[in-house]
Amino acid sequence: MTTPLALGVLAGAVLSGTSLLYATLGETLGERAGIVNLGLEGIMLLGASTGFALCAVSGSPWLGLGGAALAGGLANLGFGWLVVARRANQLASGLAMLFFSLGASALVGAPHMGAVIRGLPKWRPAFLAALPWVRGTTLFNYDLLIWIAVPVAVLVWWALFRTRWGLGIRAVGESPAAAYASGRNPAALQYQALAAGGVLGGLAGAHLSLSLTLTWAEYMTSGRGFIAIALVIFSKWRPLRAVAGALLFGGAEALQLQLQARGAEVSPFLLEMCPYLLTILVLLAWGGSRRFFAPAALGRTFYGPD
Amino acid sequence: MNKQGNLAAVALALALGAGGARAQSPGLTIGAVYVGSVNDYGYNRSFHDALTQVCKDLPGARLLEAENVPESAEVERVMEGMIQQGARLVFPTSFGYQDSARRVAKRHKDVAFEFAGDGPTARNFGVFFGSTQAAWYPMGVAAGKMTRSGKLGFVIGMPIGYALGNVNAFEMGARSVNPRATTTVVVTGGWSDKAKEAGAANALLDQGCDVVAMHVDSPTTIIQTVEARGAMSIGFQSVEARALAPKGWITGLGFNWAPFITKEAKAVMANKFQGEAVYQGLGEMVVMAPFGASVPPDVQALVNAAAAKVAKGYNPFTGPLKDNLGRQELPPGATIGADQMGGLNWYVEGVIGKVK
Amino acid sequence: MPEATRLRSLRATPAWRTGTRGAAVCALALAVFAAILLVAGKDPVRACADTFKATLASGYGLSELLVRMTPLLLTAVAVALPSRLGLINVGGEGQLYLGAWLASAGALAFPSWPAWALLPLVLVLGFLGGALWAAIPGLLRAARLVNETIATLLLNYVAPLIVSYYVFGPWRSTESSAYPQSAAFADAALLPPLFDTRVHAGLFIALAALGCYWLLMEKTRWGVDMRAIGGNPEAARRLGLPVRTWIVAALALGGGLAGLAGMGEAMGIHGRLREGLSPGYGFTGFLISWLAGGRPLGILFMAFLFAILTAAGDTLQITQGLPYSAINILLALILFIVLARRPARGGGR
Repeated sequence: MTTPLALGVLAGAVLSGTSLLYATLGETLGERAGIVNLGLEGIMLLGASTGFALCAVSGSPWLGLGGAALAGGLANLGFGWLVVARRANQLASGLAMLFFSLGASALVGAPHMGAVIRGLPKWRPAFLAALPWVRGTTLFNYDLLIWIAVPVAVLVWWALFRTRWGLGIRAVGESPAAAYASGRNPAALQYQALAAGGVLGGLAGAHLSLSLTLTWAEYMTSGRGFIAIALVIFSKWRPLRAVAGALLFGGAEALQLQLQARGAEVSPFLLEMCPYLLTILVLLAWGGSRRFFAPAALGRTFYGPD
Repeated sequence: MNKQGNLAAVALALALGAGGARAQSPGLTIGAVYVGSVNDYGYNRSFHDALTQVCKDLPGARLLEAENVPESAEVERVMEGMIQQGARLVFPTSFGYQDSARRVAKRHKDVAFEFAGDGPTARNFGVFFGSTQAAWYPMGVAAGKMTRSGKLGFVIGMPIGYALGNVNAFEMGARSVNPRATTTVVVTGGWSDKAKEAGAANALLDQGCDVVAMHVDSPTTIIQTVEARGAMSIGFQSVEARALAPKGWITGLGFNWAPFITKEAKAVMANKFQGEAVYQGLGEMVVMAPFGASVPPDVQALVNAAAAKVAKGYNPFTGPLKDNLGRQELPPGATIGADQMGGLNWYVEGVIGKVK
Repeated sequence: MPEATRLRSLRATPAWRTGTRGAAVCALALAVFAAILLVAGKDPVRACADTFKATLASGYGLSELLVRMTPLLLTAVAVALPSRLGLINVGGEGQLYLGAWLASAGALAFPSWPAWALLPLVLVLGFLGGALWAAIPGLLRAARLVNETIATLLLNYVAPLIVSYYVFGPWRSTESSAYPQSAAFADAALLPPLFDTRVHAGLFIALAALGCYWLLMEKTRWGVDMRAIGGNPEAARRLGLPVRTWIVAALALGGGLAGLAGMGEAMGIHGRLREGLSPGYGFTGFLISWLAGGRPLGILFMAFLFAILTAAGDTLQITQGLPYSAINILLALILFIVLARRPARGGGR
């Protein structure tokens, strides 16, 4: 019984797109507050290694998940201190964070490499399992992080667009001075956004090590953090569009593996270029009117003194 | 060190001194460079285990290890660093280290190198590997008998000749007991890209494969993914991996490097090292893992018989052989030996996949 | 007293201030790193000694420092040059790979040419490859369509994939078990090594590039104009300067230098095209340029520092069993300290 290509790609896209989605949502929060973190890859790595180490030591993937979220949040707060309190250059700070996390995650993970962990448990509702085209595939047989991925995206959307807090975050992202003038505390809001973003980034990494691969390897994120940064732009800083984008970008990786399994010839490298090229094309399509989509204060870092 | 250790060290030093060698340290310092982590339940661990064992057995021997060294310009520096620390026998264990290893070997004619791969040898540069290709034939027999869907899957890291040879022998073994068996190949593009390995395993299972084998540095991710979906697996690089698949493990292949390493180490210590090409197969460098609980005795007997045939010298790569595009690649009577396996660039009939 | 006055005036020079500040930063970072090493159960003093032995105390060590510095110098200037116009080039990685790719195309296409023809060809191609790859974001920015930070960042990941495609596909060598790499380049295409080391002629190219950059900034009118305008395109436009051309030119020039770094790695170190040419030289170059404030002498010093640090990483792995990645922590600590100290100058560069 073979799965049709579309279903196979969808199944693969969900699996590999989940960590992308969490990372994108986290970065969206930070960028909405006007801060870009090039070290997102590092936050994910910290989450992956901390989660794996804690799970290996304690035997509980939940403890690992919690540790990963905490590690990501704390690391992003550290990054936040540099850019908010010390007003440091965001790009350089992000890269510094990346380097730090490369090393720290390696140190944390090294003693536990090769440990065999139980991983996050998976659930599949019985009525779905009975469906003929679902049985035998990975569809709907998901761990907690995948099940709540879309709800989390909705939560982020709701927080950003339906709460006073979110309004404050977006205000800071548009103009910190105006936000301050209207009685908000820009620094506090930015810290909060970064903390939440860091938690999500840590969870993104944890999904890789605690569910998808059940292992830890140095630099196992393989550039997913940077794909997520592209995805934030691609989805116009909107959490709900990020869901579609994550499926699309995650699907690109799944597609080439699924095609290979069908004996079709496709270059994995050409497929892997797609997320980046798509993002550039999308930016071109907006025709320079990106100002209307991007948070304006983010502009000062990303868009220069124009 | 205890008295015996001291005596041994002194004896060794005298022996070396008598041979006119530069005795820098009483024991042999061995350097090993790994592309991954030694805790990978796989390729790198097999070397680590063997080298640690050898260094324990040989008096005064010391082991220097560098893990996670990428196949780039770094390797030369790492090897040089080990030589500076006194290493006189160096094991560059990953395929992509070849160019760098040869360059360092040219610079240090008094240091012995044993490269896990192929290519020309020199006085201080030997090449070796386990001839896994023929050993995959009995693996194919096992898979061919155990599969219910007739579809077998194989995940490989890089499409090098050795990996293709493994796939081919696997398929030929399967076909010998199950004429309609096919093997589908997915290439991940790297020796240990864990996320891709999981995706590759899932893609093969989606296609209906119910037995999955692999040639990547560490079998753990693939075996765990396959086990979680209720399929069967055949392991590679390490026989310990069977602990990961209590239900689905059929059998597997691993390496036993220790006897070979001991022999070469002793040669270096006696100053008699000569670089050669050494390929050993099933029964020597390559070992078969124990069977899983689900394998019935008649299948075990068949597999063991095939293994014995291979150990006695049976070469599945004997013509006439057609590739999976219908062309004849081996005329009747022609064979491909272990030393030519590196140049293999086609898949045998029954393999679903394209050699890029 | 004349001595005291001389000493006071020496201490007032910017070089002294920068030097002592730099030394203090390094000392602080080293102290924190030593603490981390202790926590991880390693011996910091021995680590220092081993690193010294491996880098500065031997001919081989010194030569390897130069090998490490060569691409770093080039990628740093690749960032520094456009930064003078306020442009941010984080695309050094991609430009490096594309320079290597285009140079390889030339070397593989004309293997029988003599060295005096082939070597200049691959040099030009290496430069062109990186220049073209950076010109794309330059054009996009000049047309005010896409910001160059994003564009260079995204293209970073496309270029290595192009190299992988060719190395696994059309250019894959059939020698030696078909490992994905190109055929070895003809000797005529290789950059000659110095003496018996891995230091290759690329080092001179890098130093020349650094020198040209200094000349451009200090001695030409364009350079002086740029510094005066300080990256303010409005002012430049009002003065009637051809800002759009300069944007593309600056990025292309920078990219070309990064491309030369890639060509250097392929033709000077590996002798063929393969994956994994750069362990992040592009990003490291960005950090070097940023730490040095875009100044040529600072770039030289920072590149040297980074070379020692990465050498330390190797040494520590062999002698103390520390994962190589751990040295990134020390790098990051230095950056953190510098970042935390500098108050932003109107948004920071």
